[in-house]
Amino acid sequence: MLNIKTIDDATVNQRVYQLNLGPQHPSTHGVMHLLVTLDGEVVIKIEPIIGYSHRGHEKMAENRIYEQFLPNPARMDYLSGMIFNHGYCMAVEKLCGIEVPRRAEYIRVITSELNRIASHFIGAMDYAMGLGAITPFLWGWDDREQILDLLEGIAGSRLTYSYGRFGGVRNDIDQAFYNGTRRFIDRLRGRFWDYENLINQNIIFIKRSKGVGVISKEDALTYGVTGPSLRGSGVKYDVRKNEPYSAYPEFNFEIPTREAGDCLARYQVRMAEIEQSLNIIEQALDHLPPGPVRSKVPRFVTPPEGECYLTFESARGAVGFYIVSDGSRIPYRIKVRAPSFSNLFAMTKICPGHFLADVIAIFGSIDVTVPEIDR
Amino acid sequence: MPTAGQKKLLEELKNSLTQAVPEGQVEDSDYTRTGCHLEVRLDQGGMRRVAKVMLDKRFYLETITAVDFIDHFELVYLYSTYYQDVFRVITRIRIAKDATPFSVSAIYPGAIWLEREVYDFFGIRFQEHPDLKRIINPDDADYFPLLKNFGKTKFTEEIDDILC
Repeated sequence: MLNIKTIDDATVNQRVYQLNLGPQHPSTHGVMHLLVTLDGEVVIKIEPIIGYSHRGHEKMAENRIYEQFLPNPARMDYLSGMIFNHGYCMAVEKLCGIEVPRRAEYIRVITSELNRIASHFIGAMDYAMGLGAITPFLWGWDDREQILDLLEGIAGSRLTYSYGRFGGVRNDIDQAFYNGTRRFIDRLRGRFWDYENLINQNIIFIKRSKGVGVISKEDALTYGVTGPSLRGSGVKYDVRKNEPYSAYPEFNFEIPTREAGDCLARYQVRMAEIEQSLNIIEQALDHLPPGPVRSKVPRFVTPPEGECYLTFESARGAVGFYIVSDGSRIPYRIKVRAPSFSNLFAMTKICPGHFLADVIAIFGSIDVTVPEIDR
Repeated sequence: MPTAGQKKLLEELKNSLTQAVPEGQVEDSDYTRTGCHLEVRLDQGGMRRVAKVMLDKRFYLETITAVDFIDHFELVYLYSTYYQDVFRVITRIRIAKDATPFSVSAIYPGAIWLEREVYDFFGIRFQEHPDLKRIINPDDADYFPLLKNFGKTKFTEEIDDILC
């Protein structure tokens, strides 16, 4: 007879039991394992088990030169790969003191914001799908597809971009990208009303997300939550505004916040941010300065001895690159602060007391990317 | 240029940090070059006293990491603010290879996972940590991957930095 023991005998009784969500589960974006302790249908404890997609990017950084690490950051958070790619370039530029031409900064902003919209579409629509709505997911996928086509045209790849270079970007944008982006902005603005109609007024969606999974301001602070999950709790913190980098100080945009802190608030923040990103892209296209897109940089950069820390805002929160250089061409240590890592850990605090079905909603609304957590 | 709020915070923090950790060095840091406004250097301990000051001033813990300098470790704690005038404090703590530093997870619960990650990759055991075990690497692993004597680094084998 099979004698499979899955739970500790001391904790087991008639009502309390453990349930494995994942590692392969439709609601977990990627390979993620949630070990949930339940009393009936109410969550007592939740323990995310991570590490299934660990590839050792931080170790990889220690045995190759700075240029060779360039493709890696986009593979950490593959949904906002362009932002990570530019962020790594900015960190190395800061370490070496490399100037970036203004046109390149503008192109970085445009591509980053396009990538942010694509990422937010997955985040928001995948959340809706987690609650049982299939159609919004397909609609969001359609809009995201337009962005991937645009970015493919200039960067050459659709997901894991390696478009940034130290001192600028690889190539200038062309007329097709310019016109295509304008068309995309018009098209997307016309579709917001559809999303509003389809999701925001859906009674099931609202009942499943309102008041569920509230992150308080205090929890957000002590757990280090950043990104839309933090702004859904009423804290107006966005690295693009608070600690401006690249060309962001030159643009006029709002930081959307919601006070409620629940799943609905996080979803609303994401949708509002898409509109703000469109504003930024439009301003950047209007005032795109002429000039080169890449400054003269040696073929191999050799940063001076020292450390630097640079943060930027990915679609999920504040990412940080901490680079230690010993004065050689090979980095001594690169540490990446992954926002999903802290955001996911905050989930263990807010889930107890909710129904199991709400765990899926909370997990979807926090919108983590598993490869970024594991790195 | 630092704003008025940042200057005020800098003075306040310098005072309270020198009171909290009199044995450490509290120095200004060049923000444009390093990305941090204030740097605290410590030997062996004092991370919990620094963390208490930081929580009082409403900083959040960005990350904890370590760097392996062959003969010693350097624990790095990064704190930053949510409010308009951004302010970042970096705490560097030099510890011996076999040291067991104290955990700050009682002050910042978010540190539970961050310290587990440091343990997982460097083998640094934190005292008074509620749940110190592997997090990303397999539970039965017998190695600490980010040590400089593990795998391919410039200390274990020659890396041709042009053709590697």
